[in-house]
Amino acid sequence: MEEKGEQKHKFEMSRRNFLRAGATATALGVIGAIKAPVKVANAAVPSNVKFSAGAAGQWSKLHPEPDYGGATVRYAENNDQWLGTSKIVGTVKNISEADMGFALAARGLISDKAQRGFFNFVPKHPFGGAISWARTWIASEDAVDGQPAPEKLPIPDPEQMSQHIKDAAYFLRADEVGIGKMPPYAYYSHKIINPALLVHNPVEQCVKPFTERLPYVIVVMVDQHLETMLASTGYDGISASQSMRSYHATGNIAIILAKYIRSLGYHARAHHAANYGAVMGPCILASGLGELTRTGDCALHPRLGFRHKVAAVTTDLPLVPDKPIDFGLQDFCRVCGKCADNCPSGAITHDKDPVEHNGYLRWNTDMKKCTEFRVANEEGSSCGRCMKVCPWNSKENSWFHQAGLFIGSHGETSSKFLKSIDDMFGYGTEQIEKYKWWLEWPELYKVAPGLPPNPAAPPATSK
Amino acid sequence: MGTILVFVAGVLFLAGILFIKPRAKCELMWKTVLNWSLYVVWYAITWIGISFVYINFNVGHVKATSTAIFLFLGISVVLAIALARLLGFIGVKKISNTTVQV
Repeated sequence: MEEKGEQKHKFEMSRRNFLRAGATATALGVIGAIKAPVKVANAAVPSNVKFSAGAAGQWSKLHPEPDYGGATVRYAENNDQWLGTSKIVGTVKNISEADMGFALAARGLISDKAQRGFFNFVPKHPFGGAISWARTWIASEDAVDGQPAPEKLPIPDPEQMSQHIKDAAYFLRADEVGIGKMPPYAYYSHKIINPALLVHNPVEQCVKPFTERLPYVIVVMVDQHLETMLASTGYDGISASQSMRSYHATGNIAIILAKYIRSLGYHARAHHAANYGAVMGPCILASGLGELTRTGDCALHPRLGFRHKVAAVTTDLPLVPDKPIDFGLQDFCRVCGKCADNCPSGAITHDKDPVEHNGYLRWNTDMKKCTEFRVANEEGSSCGRCMKVCPWNSKENSWFHQAGLFIGSHGETSSKFLKSIDDMFGYGTEQIEKYKWWLEWPELYKVAPGLPPNPAAPPATSK
Repeated sequence: MGTILVFVAGVLFLAGILFIKPRAKCELMWKTVLNWSLYVVWYAITWIGISFVYINFNVGHVKATSTAIFLFLGISVVLAIALARLLGFIGVKKISNTTVQV
């Protein structure tokens, strides 16, 4: 009896122990619930691809959370009224590549100097020319497009495949990657066959229709190099090289991703600076990688600013698109205007608010003035002064810049405060000499005296 | 270097607590709270400044470095003087060789 009583006593539980046991069980339950989606998700993975999925909702396995550098980021919409924070107020028409800034320069619609300048503004600096030359090797139709493999390989479900594609991009050295629902109006209506044709021929003979329409876009982003930007004026000899660096890097990533997706049995086309079929601005917004800025069609990423270039892959691979993002940039650009104050061509508007342009609202930047300065700049090669001075762009990764981005993403008053601090500390307008690693040849920076021959013309025959 | 600075900051924070503890406690509670609050704020501002100057100097932001030295050092000195006065390290009248009056 005594033994039985002892046993009974052993199984008695005080109120404190009861609560402890309850708390432990709850904690275990929560942990189980958090882990469960992974198991459920893994159940959907074909066993022969040997892939263990990340948790549901995770950005990717290599980067479980997207890195927004301290900014407070909210999700926005991608529908017929909004693309992120850009308001759609009418019909956004598909535009022709021949109506973009550089094409207008090549067609002689900006100025004679700009037309001549277009054909040598990058290669006049030997380093920029070298990177640009490398870019042309990945520009052919065979490099960017092709037929998908006849049989589809087994792949994980769309969410896991999205994580996998992002990790593939990070593996290929992308700084950022996002997946979007491809806005149909982001495609060019026509693309240029060869820019040199534009000089001598009617525009209709220089373009071909671009008819591809795929549901998703993968955007890869590569930084234009912080230290180089800190040492540069923004419009010296290295400026075009910075663009070419990121164009080349993103182009390489895009053509590899596209080829990989085609090998899995799905359609995929790479779009990069040497062979675009789409406008990158709306692709960036749709992929949750930025918002439009005061500079017009440049999209700014919360961490990288717009010190980046992107390339894209359009595809019908089953994916889960990310949502566009809102981190208060429209309020920030409204009160800052530092890019407009520092633009050497005066192309960036000082207007308070965006205006309608092709069916959507954007700041009314003068694309022709900007293009003319970039192609005819005789102090260097191209220009990225706006990129250098923007308070979101010109920073190393540190706790106080993260704090700055947090402040800058919280409305007009805090944006004014951030801009004042940025000016007080002299960020953006300084040149840090210790990082100036490149060579300058000012005697080479003259605009080309003539125009290239007509590629369509028959080659001259010798007697 | 960053790790060393964090370590040094932690050690000095604790040392500071031990150093001012005998003088921080006052008969009025709000004065005690004021002393400790001021100590924490002064210490935080000082090390935010040191960290800010250290990072900006290393990256090469000349104007940010010099501005931060004036700004954070200035605030730090003002707070330090106020704290020293409240704790009785400065500004006390000696009434004899052995006693001090706060």
